[in-house]
Amino acid sequence: MDALTGSLKMITNGSVITYILKGLGFTIGIAFFAVVLGIIIGTILALVRNYCNKGAAKIFKYIAIAYIEVFRNTPLMLWIFIGLVFFPSIEFPTEFTKLFELSRTEMAVLFKAIIALVLFTSSVIAEIVRGGLNSISKGQFEAAYSQGFNLPQTLLFIIIPQTFKNIVPTLLSQVITTVKDTSYIANIAVAELMGRTFQLIQISPRYTGFSTQNVSDVFVLCGLACVMYFAVNFTISCVVRKMQKPKKIKLPAKIEEV
Amino acid sequence: MIRLEDVHKSFGDLEVLKGINLHVAEGEKLVIIGPSGSGKSTLIRCMNYLEEPTSGKVYIHNHLMSHKRRAFINKIHSSMVFQQFNLYPHLTVLDNLTLAPIKLKKVPRKEAEEIAMMYLKRVGLEEKANVYPTTLSGGQQQRIAIARALTMQNRVIFFDEPTSALDPEMVQEVLDVMIELSHEKNFTMVVVTHEMGFAREVADRIIFVDGGNILEEGTPEHFFTNPTNERTKAFLSKIIR
Repeated sequence: MDALTGSLKMITNGSVITYILKGLGFTIGIAFFAVVLGIIIGTILALVRNYCNKGAAKIFKYIAIAYIEVFRNTPLMLWIFIGLVFFPSIEFPTEFTKLFELSRTEMAVLFKAIIALVLFTSSVIAEIVRGGLNSISKGQFEAAYSQGFNLPQTLLFIIIPQTFKNIVPTLLSQVITTVKDTSYIANIAVAELMGRTFQLIQISPRYTGFSTQNVSDVFVLCGLACVMYFAVNFTISCVVRKMQKPKKIKLPAKIEEV
Repeated sequence: MIRLEDVHKSFGDLEVLKGINLHVAEGEKLVIIGPSGSGKSTLIRCMNYLEEPTSGKVYIHNHLMSHKRRAFINKIHSSMVFQQFNLYPHLTVLDNLTLAPIKLKKVPRKEAEEIAMMYLKRVGLEEKANVYPTTLSGGQQQRIAIARALTMQNRVIFFDEPTSALDPEMVQEVLDVMIELSHEKNFTMVVVTHEMGFAREVADRIIFVDGGNILEEGTPEHFFTNPTNERTKAFLSKIIR
């Protein structure tokens, strides 16, 4: 029991809890960045894969297919490691990295991991978008063509708005998956929630006053991470579900007989 | 107005149209009839290039149709009403009507909405302007679809079996709108339908299509009193009770 009290004392320590909360901030920020870029790149990939069927444009279709299939069928972990070794190191200015309380090396490594996450997420989202595109009936295209819309206009004004309306639930579960996927970054960088939790577990004796590491440290820190991930993801699903509720349709007092 | 020259259309090995020659005059009301699978729907869909003919030429108002020019020609010359309505479900009725004029013809929104309301009134549904199409009955949706076709203010309207997907009691409300339209001299209407009463009342000319060929054409009087082709006779005897 003493050990547990000691461990609990650790997370009431202001600097520890701030450190973890900043990690949570990184998790949310990275996931947001990956999802936004993932949706943009994924949508472009899906459109190219579906509709670049004519002549020379076909080469783009094959590139999109290769991209989607390679990243979707290989583990994210692998790409984070490949990225660490092979992606170019970006030299961020110190003023910029200071904002995030990271060193320039840490920032460069984190950036590579984020690129890997974006590559992976965009390929998954591309297939979600494509599923949505394929579910739109052919009649929608025909109606648009008969009115004089060309393919890009048809996609922009008629097909894509319907697609996104339809895929919100699937996209939402991918957002949640991406929040959780950020934890893979813990393998190469210490910035987001999971990485910081691991780090704190390793150095916990410094904060608990015991000279050894205790199971309760793991319990408390992992428990905290668990609560935080849950809170973020559960909030996202609740908000989206609320937005998803169909607009109330005014029904006429009596059904009209026409 | 519309001219088809030796139009062939094949789907794989199946030849659906076997060399159609047809001329539709400006203001003419042409009704296309024929058994299912005869190629009549393919024929009308070739006119605005929803199906691209395997060979042959299609002219709308002396513009030669092509894949590249389809959008341009359809925008300024023709509209279509479909069997399955094909309204845009993510837009309100009013937005369904104004989308193409605003985006394609660059009509100012306010003006486009006034035009749209005028046509909604004409099909008797102006009170539905702000609802979503899925909340409406089939007959109402089809009347909206007709209003949407009219809002483009093009001179040619294609009707591809506009009443075939409707519940029987809703057929008449749609036909009434179409009959009313047919009184306008400068509208060219091409209608694929099984509604013989409508054909008799509205058509200037009826063509009977079967097996990918036009087997008979003539005025409604000719068709319903003394058709000459055996196949036409058999078809009409089945469909008219």
